[in-house]
Amino acid sequence: MILKNRGLSANGGPGAGVLGASSHPSCLEIPLRYGRTTAGVFAALLAAALVATAVPAQAQGQPGTARQQAEPNQVQDLTVVQGDGYATLAWTRVEGATDYQIERTPLAADGTPGTPVIAGVWRPNRQVNNDEPTFADAGFAPGNDFRWRVRARSGTETRPYSAPVGGTTRGHWGDPGTPGESLRTQWEETLGAQYTSDVDEYAYTAAIDAASDRVRVVEIGRTLQDRPINMLVIGYPRPPATPQAVAATNPLMVNCNVHGNEPGDREACLIMARQLAFTRDDRTLALLSRTTMLIVPTLNGDGRAANTRGNSTGQDLNRDYSLIRQPETRSLVEMVRDYRPVAGYDGHEYGNSNTGDLPMLPPRHQNVAQGVFDESQKMIEGHMYTQGARDGWWACPYGCTAGATVGLSEETILRNTLGLKNVVNSLLELRSSGGPTRPDETNTANNRRRKTYSALWTFHEFLRYHGANVGSITRARAEGITSQSANEGRIVFRGSREIEAYPAPHPGEAPPPVDAPTPERILEQPPCAYRLTEEQYHGERTDGPTGQRTTVARRLAAHGWKVIKVADGYLVPLAQPERGLIPLLLDEQAVEGLVAGERVAPTLTGTRNGPLVVSGLACLDGATVRGPVQVQPGAALIVNGSSISGPVNATGAAGVVVTDSTVAGPVLATATRGPVVLVGNDVTGPVGVVASSGVAPLVAGNTVRGPLACAGNSPAPVNLEVANSARGLATGQCARL
Amino acid sequence: MSDTLVPGPRPGPPYRAVRRRWAAAGLALALLVAATGCTGSRERTAATEPTGDATPVAVTGPLCAALPSGAEPGSPGSLVGLPPDRALTWIPVLTTFEAAVRATGMAGELSATAGVTILAPTDDAFRARFSTANLDQLLLKETDTLRALLREHLATGARPVAELVAAGTVTTRAGSTLAVTAAGSGARVADRAETVCADYRAAGARIHVIDEVLGDLPVTAHEEEHHH
Repeated sequence: MILKNRGLSANGGPGAGVLGASSHPSCLEIPLRYGRTTAGVFAALLAAALVATAVPAQAQGQPGTARQQAEPNQVQDLTVVQGDGYATLAWTRVEGATDYQIERTPLAADGTPGTPVIAGVWRPNRQVNNDEPTFADAGFAPGNDFRWRVRARSGTETRPYSAPVGGTTRGHWGDPGTPGESLRTQWEETLGAQYTSDVDEYAYTAAIDAASDRVRVVEIGRTLQDRPINMLVIGYPRPPATPQAVAATNPLMVNCNVHGNEPGDREACLIMARQLAFTRDDRTLALLSRTTMLIVPTLNGDGRAANTRGNSTGQDLNRDYSLIRQPETRSLVEMVRDYRPVAGYDGHEYGNSNTGDLPMLPPRHQNVAQGVFDESQKMIEGHMYTQGARDGWWACPYGCTAGATVGLSEETILRNTLGLKNVVNSLLELRSSGGPTRPDETNTANNRRRKTYSALWTFHEFLRYHGANVGSITRARAEGITSQSANEGRIVFRGSREIEAYPAPHPGEAPPPVDAPTPERILEQPPCAYRLTEEQYHGERTDGPTGQRTTVARRLAAHGWKVIKVADGYLVPLAQPERGLIPLLLDEQAVEGLVAGERVAPTLTGTRNGPLVVSGLACLDGATVRGPVQVQPGAALIVNGSSISGPVNATGAAGVVVTDSTVAGPVLATATRGPVVLVGNDVTGPVGVVASSGVAPLVAGNTVRGPLACAGNSPAPVNLEVANSARGLATGQCARL
Repeated sequence: MSDTLVPGPRPGPPYRAVRRRWAAAGLALALLVAATGCTGSRERTAATEPTGDATPVAVTGPLCAALPSGAEPGSPGSLVGLPPDRALTWIPVLTTFEAAVRATGMAGELSATAGVTILAPTDDAFRARFSTANLDQLLLKETDTLRALLREHLATGARPVAELVAAGTVTTRAGSTLAVTAAGSGARVADRAETVCADYRAAGARIHVIDEVLGDLPVTAHEEEHHH
């Protein structure tokens, strides 16, 4: 019989619930699971011992002796480890077992057993490592006592039950006697009978904000019906003060509730916010001291209140993150622009009752930078699948129902939108109903608890993963930003990378559907930029809700895209960090485009000997210029993947974009009236960005063999956390870039 | 059933966890209220309305065992004094029906002085009938249609299920007359829906949870795949 604690305790690290208990004498009166007193632990051990004496002789005894007395094919070495809202059962596999049944029996305070139920069925497709079966039992009311047994089945033939293990499950997180920790959501208070209302959410998050220096609640926007869309910004000892300062900490984000009728993740987010605000767990505090966690509990507050999937107009917001016709999606996209999370999870529930607990999926769209896709898969398959196998949760790829047409490449879906914004991320689905593997979930409260606590597990694992892998995540992001800015290679309007059936080929199931691009969805020669007319850019729109319709200009600004104002319209260069998304909104071939911009082809792709004087627009793609480049006032220069031997000098230009290029000689952009984008270049000689106005110059990922000097720009230049390497001194506004 | 902790069919002493959990929840609420000054909100009040098993109420049907009972929030006994629209918020399988009542502004109609019988379809029943898109449409745009649909599920007078069975028919507020026959301890209505947990009592109301949506709106559930 093994009693252990794992995960986040109020008092310290794993298992510290016992050691740290003495700091909470008030718990003597309120013996919930956390902060248990030594007396409480002994009481639990005693109760468990009483249980053991009440079971048949064959199932008695300590592990070890149970093995010696084992019947053939009896499950051995059953252990239970308590988590927040779940209990991980683990046992030694039985040869020839086709599945296992997990039995749970409630125990009264004196150890009297209640009615046993089969709470779970373990199947071989459940986890990556079938040699060490585990099952996360969940759904039970937190804080109660239970005992568990497991038996193997071969076909329909049942084998003998294991010896039982007992344990007290953890109560609602946080010491009820400690201010802050004692906060509870409406969902917790009502034992899952009700979800947390909007008003309760605002009161609860405001109370956390008031009680904890670590949490700041910011309003990132309003819903159509004017509900605040809040975000919890969480850091230790306190979160950085501005979005820009938060961005510098490589933050991670969770979007908890985009479909109003899928509320399970949201409850987990609210609980996690309290845990992060008040935990004394050293590992968690260490994680929060190095980054910032961004939690958006309810993006779709109107839909949540109405119990609808869509917002108050019926728009499915998870089909709107690229088009951002709605104020809710625009709020999130602007948040991503300003806070710049490097990693994300997007929470949902789904209706297939026969597959995993926790289907996940990376950004599959083929325009997503390879490294961002790979890192997302590493997080899902490399971490969540293996940790799921350790803790008994069944993570698997989303869309594994045979014939499913879900989980594809729509850039309107946040998973893909974030990927196209160089954010390593995953979808998270919570299986709506218990189905055959969780037969105790006809009880609605049990079902709700399992979903929410499985989401809570996932979000904690996400935080841990981010902390341990922030180096490779930010490397992938930096490579994504520089490779996208290079404007190199084909564009796919719709089409996904393949996802394997994993961890196992599920009986009756298939890999997520193949979604290869058809020929008419591929653009082999992407343009240099899209040109939009005044009408296209600033004209009134008919999409979006009446009274809150926004122009293309406003939406591109929400995405954070650079736009160059020229005499005959507005140029949107592809050579910028979200290049993979730009044609999906602005090309005539786009599947769900915003406007059909004019493709602007490169003006120079070969070699030019002698100086180049730019008036109007010059777009160099794979070009070689042997001589200086002079950009006249009001002109625009776009250079991708080119080589220039000679200085590049622009004064009063409409815009200067140089990416993925080699320049011998100084590069100087002075008094630019529009965007300056210098990304991924190798410059021999000094680089200067001076006195530009309107938009923050982007100076990122360049190698400068000479000084890098910036001054008088308003706003100041940024590097999106992609550092430049300057051999000379970096000075002025670029000193820290 | 593992954690519903229903006193009754299972012998044994009361379970300590429930009692203490309520003490903790009350304390938490008090602290929350103190911390936020948020005392007057409707939802806050709603969250604490049921005060436990004040009145023993015998509900009947196969789903009752899976719903809050005994001293749990939302138990049948705790809903007796509540206005019907508030009582609906505590029965966790009725989130769609409850949202439909709000979307159509029918709370007042449920509190009619003559009393009301509510045949409330479960969330599963709504999912089996309507696609998510169709449900959104009804809840957000076609509220007249939805109101008419709800009235197919309402009858005048707070009538126990046994009384409906004895009468053999029930006339809905939509004007249709539905056959009612005995089915187990409950009723079969219009030869298609069965009560799965009948005889919830609210102020001036009987609520019978049923397993199928009545009325003649077309089935649209097959038109969708479940997707994120």
